[in-house]
Amino acid sequence: MLTLDGVQVNFGGVQALKNASFAVAEGESVGLVGPNGAGKTTLFNVISGVIRPTGGRLTFRGQSLLGLPDWKRARLGIGRSFQIPRPLGHCTVRENLIVAQRFGAGINDPKRIDEILDLLGLRDKADADATGALALTEHKALEVGKALATNPSLLLLDEVLAGLETNSKRAFMERLGAVRDRYRLALVIIEHDLPTIAALCPRVLVLNFGQIIADGAPDAVFRNPEVIRSYTGETTL
Amino acid sequence: MRHILLLAALVVAYAGVPLLFGGTPYILGLIVAALTIAGIAVAWALLGNLGGMVSFGHAAFFGVGSYGSAVLSMKLGVPVFPAVLLGGLAAALASVAMLPALRLRGPYFALAILAYAHIFQILATEMTPITGGAGGLLSIPRFPVLFGLDLGGKTGGYVIILTIVLLSALAYDAVRRSAWGLALKAMHDTEVATRVVGVPSTHLKAAMLALSAFITGVVGAFNAHFISFLEPDYAFSSTWTVLPIAAAIFGGYRTVWGPVLGALAIYLLDQLLFKPILPHGHQMVLGVLLCAMILLSPGGLLPALRRRSTGERHAHA
Repeated sequence: MLTLDGVQVNFGGVQALKNASFAVAEGESVGLVGPNGAGKTTLFNVISGVIRPTGGRLTFRGQSLLGLPDWKRARLGIGRSFQIPRPLGHCTVRENLIVAQRFGAGINDPKRIDEILDLLGLRDKADADATGALALTEHKALEVGKALATNPSLLLLDEVLAGLETNSKRAFMERLGAVRDRYRLALVIIEHDLPTIAALCPRVLVLNFGQIIADGAPDAVFRNPEVIRSYTGETTL
Repeated sequence: MRHILLLAALVVAYAGVPLLFGGTPYILGLIVAALTIAGIAVAWALLGNLGGMVSFGHAAFFGVGSYGSAVLSMKLGVPVFPAVLLGGLAAALASVAMLPALRLRGPYFALAILAYAHIFQILATEMTPITGGAGGLLSIPRFPVLFGLDLGGKTGGYVIILTIVLLSALAYDAVRRSAWGLALKAMHDTEVATRVVGVPSTHLKAAMLALSAFITGVVGAFNAHFISFLEPDYAFSSTWTVLPIAAAIFGGYRTVWGPVLGALAIYLLDQLLFKPILPHGHQMVLGVLLCAMILLSPGGLLPALRRRSTGERHAHA
């Protein structure tokens, strides 16, 4: 479905991504982990078209993504959330989803919007101002909801669980699992909490200093000495 | 009830005003001028409120529309009404030249548009064979007689500009209520977030710039055929930028009808009340009035009136 081949991103003299290559299959769930500054969000920005890569190739369902603007990638089926929630300004929660559905999916389907609101536990806040009056969990849910409303086949979630306390995180994870199964989505999720990632994703990619240093099942990856070193500087966790 | 009030307002606007002021061409002329400013104010507010762009250069669209229509009717014999629409199209085309400025934000965009306006003024001055140069164009064809009504007169001009303003406001309202309007509103502070859900933000902004330019161009074209004379300093005067901005802010630029109300209020107050009292300093009073409005009701006159009306209803309840 999604293939990256030797993707590089340079910010001035800093190489934020070095030769990143991997593929995500239809319906696959992949965890993306790595220390702060490893290049995880940069990777999402490249895939969603927010920034252009310095080199390499990206394809989505056989179509090259190079030169394709971010809004066209959304229409192709690549949905994403932002680490710091970015609700659409001057809009209610429902209007956020309407904009995403009308433009991203090119449809007008209020029933599907209600369904998304229900799945994410936002029905009660549908008419609330999206920039205020929402709790952190609701803001995070809205980030997912906007992406879902574009009718994606690949969902990129950037730390949607960060900052949530344990119970909220567990509930949110369950919702994410339900959403993924309901819409048969491929999922790439950035998360620092390794047990959470292990519970949600059968495959984990580890990024460090812009390089993919491990790719495999969570148990094997989290025992990988290079991964441990990247997190702690030590060879044991 | 709302429909009856709307119908009554239309009857007053289309029949009452001409009947009341038909015998006093001076007053009717002032109302036409106020509506001319109102038309630009609506277009300016559309761009600011929906497109999120503050323009200091609407005089460019007004001037291009004026000259476009005047030249088409004078040199190519295009009938006046089609020429007016083509004048609007010419202004919309001129806005295409401004598309690179869409990359700019806030004051930078505003200043870039101001520079464009100056360029168009220079072009109008230098293209003497077409525009008549600094001397301008004289005897621009007036609006024709239609169904026995002389549209070239004050009353006819009033009916035309009133229709232009109403249609412009209705177009603005239609866009605002559409999915486009929602997306435009959404992308003011969060453009990247709107783009990643499939909104082609630059296209939408360009469309708003073109629509705003078209409306302003049509108003400019109307004015050219109404006064039957044009010169670059007049057609591209900063007055066509400053007064509509003041009117839109005074009336409430975040509303559809606020700019219309604002234009009628400030222009008629200025000309009928302040100018006779202070012939050489009446604009100062206008400035003070605008400052007072911004301080007391930043949203403008129309939202203030609505609040007052709602408050009174609650008080009576």
